[in-house]
Amino acid sequence: MDSGDDIHDANDIESLNEDIESLNDNYDNYDDDAAAADYFDDDDDDDTHPAKSRRIEQSFTILKESDIRQRQEDDIRRVAAVPSIPHGAASILLCHYNWSVSRVNDAWFADEHEVRRTVGLLEKPVYDNPADAKELTCGICFEAYPLSEIETASCGHPFCFSCWGGYIGTSINDGPGCLLLRCPESACGAAVDQDMINLLASGEDKDKYDRYLLRSYIEDNKKTKWCPAPGCEHAVNFDPTGTGKDYDVSCLCSYSFCWNCTEESHRSVDCGTVSKWILKNSSESENVTWILAKTKPCPECKRPIEKNHGCMHMTCSQPCRFEFCWICLGAWRKHGGSCNRYESGEQNETEKRREMAKKSLEKYTHYYKRWASNQSSRQKAVADLQEMQSVHMKNLGDSQRQTELELKFITEAWLQIVECRRVLKWTYAYGYYLPDNEQAKKKFFEYLQGEAESGLERLHHCAEKVIQVFLSDDPPSPSEEFNDFRKKLTELTNVTRNYFENLVKALENVHDGNPCDLDKRPWGAGAMMNEMKE
Amino acid sequence: MTSSSNSSRKTLSKIACNRLQKELVEWQANPPTGFNYKVSDNLQRWVIEVIGAPGTLYANETYKLQVDFPEHYPMEAPQVIFMNPAPMHPHIYSNGHICLDILYDSWSPAMTVSSVCISILSMLSSSTVKQRPEDNDRYVKNCRNGRSPKETRWWFHDDKV
Ligand SMILES: [Zn+2]
Ligand SMILES: [Zn+2]
Ligand SMILES: [Zn+2]
Ligand SMILES: [Zn+2]
Ligand SMILES: [Zn+2]
Ligand SMILES: [Zn+2]
Repeated sequence: MDSGDDIHDANDIESLNEDIESLNDNYDNYDDDAAAADYFDDDDDDDTHPAKSRRIEQSFTILKESDIRQRQEDDIRRVAAVPSIPHGAASILLCHYNWSVSRVNDAWFADEHEVRRTVGLLEKPVYDNPADAKELTCGICFEAYPLSEIETASCGHPFCFSCWGGYIGTSINDGPGCLLLRCPESACGAAVDQDMINLLASGEDKDKYDRYLLRSYIEDNKKTKWCPAPGCEHAVNFDPTGTGKDYDVSCLCSYSFCWNCTEESHRSVDCGTVSKWILKNSSESENVTWILAKTKPCPECKRPIEKNHGCMHMTCSQPCRFEFCWICLGAWRKHGGSCNRYESGEQNETEKRREMAKKSLEKYTHYYKRWASNQSSRQKAVADLQEMQSVHMKNLGDSQRQTELELKFITEAWLQIVECRRVLKWTYAYGYYLPDNEQAKKKFFEYLQGEAESGLERLHHCAEKVIQVFLSDDPPSPSEEFNDFRKKLTELTNVTRNYFENLVKALENVHDGNPCDLDKRPWGAGAMMNEMKE
Repeated sequence: MTSSSNSSRKTLSKIACNRLQKELVEWQANPPTGFNYKVSDNLQRWVIEVIGAPGTLYANETYKLQVDFPEHYPMEAPQVIFMNPAPMHPHIYSNGHICLDILYDSWSPAMTVSSVCISILSMLSSSTVKQRPEDNDRYVKNCRNGRSPKETRWWFHDDKV
């Protein structure tokens, strides 16, 4: 591989994240060996490179605070383009209609009068202050003030600056309800808009109001959500008209999550399976070892039961309520009060039940362990990638006389590892729920999973261990050796990507209700993989 | 006078004092029909007599309202309860707590003691049956340690009665 190809690969990395996002849709290209073989063809160009030839449109946009403000202001302006709607009123209208410009417009043009009434935008004051008055009495403190120290909403009810300040401050400190604030006069209902807030509230209250308005734009809008990563302040705008079932979103903070359920990304496994699995992990098995050691599964519903008092008469919790004996796990009503009677038939059935219960827990533990270890392996890989970029890249560049661009294949490998760990992790949740009676499907799935996993282990090993010789205090001088390493890691990265794409595709076919076609194994890389095994 | 709920309360702010002085003057000039308030030197707690309106279930009956004002009145609502014995009413608990939205979520600083009194009398007058709220026993039990009705999350009964 010459350096020209390295640059080509380096350019690929820029798009790796998007490529990973779009793996699903690129699948068709892998169905024949020729396409897969492209990976190993040094002469391949952009047009035949599968990951490049079909780039799908991203269906989401990450918004920084400045972007959110810009979009919010744009939407307010679009509503305020109607001559009878001032800027402040437009903002209130949008608050009432979940920030949908079209809903505001539709409602306004259908029945402006009704909209004005419900939202509190009065056309003319309902309360007439005497035209020649020099002073007005504030409706809260009942003191008289010169007109210059009195403010009113569109209704005309007069209140002094200080009472307005107290009223607005109390409402803002009560929470986001302040965005729909009305005139203090009981049963008046005239809206208090942001222009009035800015005129009458304290600096601190103004900031809080502004914050609530920004949050409302994201939280009350069906097309936007906050990134769920702790401490991240970005939001995501998702366009559901895009790809249909691809809900994967990756934020600028590097967190990837599912738009639909806001759990961490789980492409290829559906949201329902993910939430079932997460619930199972938290409610039943926070500590699987502890449960295995201290509990027995209920012989009826298989949930683990902990014995917390001396009597052997156990009753399972709601909704099962099965009553059984702690020692023999038989139904309590069948053996009265003592457990010493040997009944072969009964015992066999009990043993069978107990065996089943044990198996069910063992099955869960099998999948949980693998799910959890891929989870922690992924976290380690994220940390390793960061260390690689912040520490080792520069040293490696110096010792091997490589440019930053020429070393990008390492970053690419690590990004692939991080992504594959995530996919692999969720395939264990998927596998847990795969019905036992669908043997063919299970077999095929486990075959693909196994292939993908062993490919990933080789890649991870190479990126983590084989590289060490070049990172040592006394690295070998620039040599063929490093070029061999580059070639190996790059190939492992491509092969692993290929395996995972096949795995994901198989899972998605299952979702679509297509039976897995065992005769049509979309391999090309399989044979080549064998050559690479040492 | 019980001091349990009074001892923890902060004294009235200057704004609250000024406003209450004005309400007092207005009350003395124009007391709402059906109410008597004998001015005491405690501006922060008013005890007001309520006389059931003629032609209603409570005609000729007399009850007492205890109105306590918070430091930041009128930005914060006053605490209004019936003193023992509280009238039998579907929205009034036997401990005197009143289920009426303007005393809690719907309070507005433009309301006054006088307007609150009028709302309460109108609530009494529209009652067609003398009985306690359905959840009276449970609610009163929960309030035993001297909880203020303002700490209750009110789920308002229908406002027809
Ligand atoms: Zn008004
Ligand atoms: Zn005032
Ligand atoms: Zn984020
Ligand atoms: Zn999801
Ligand atoms: Zn059970
Ligand atoms: Zn037994």
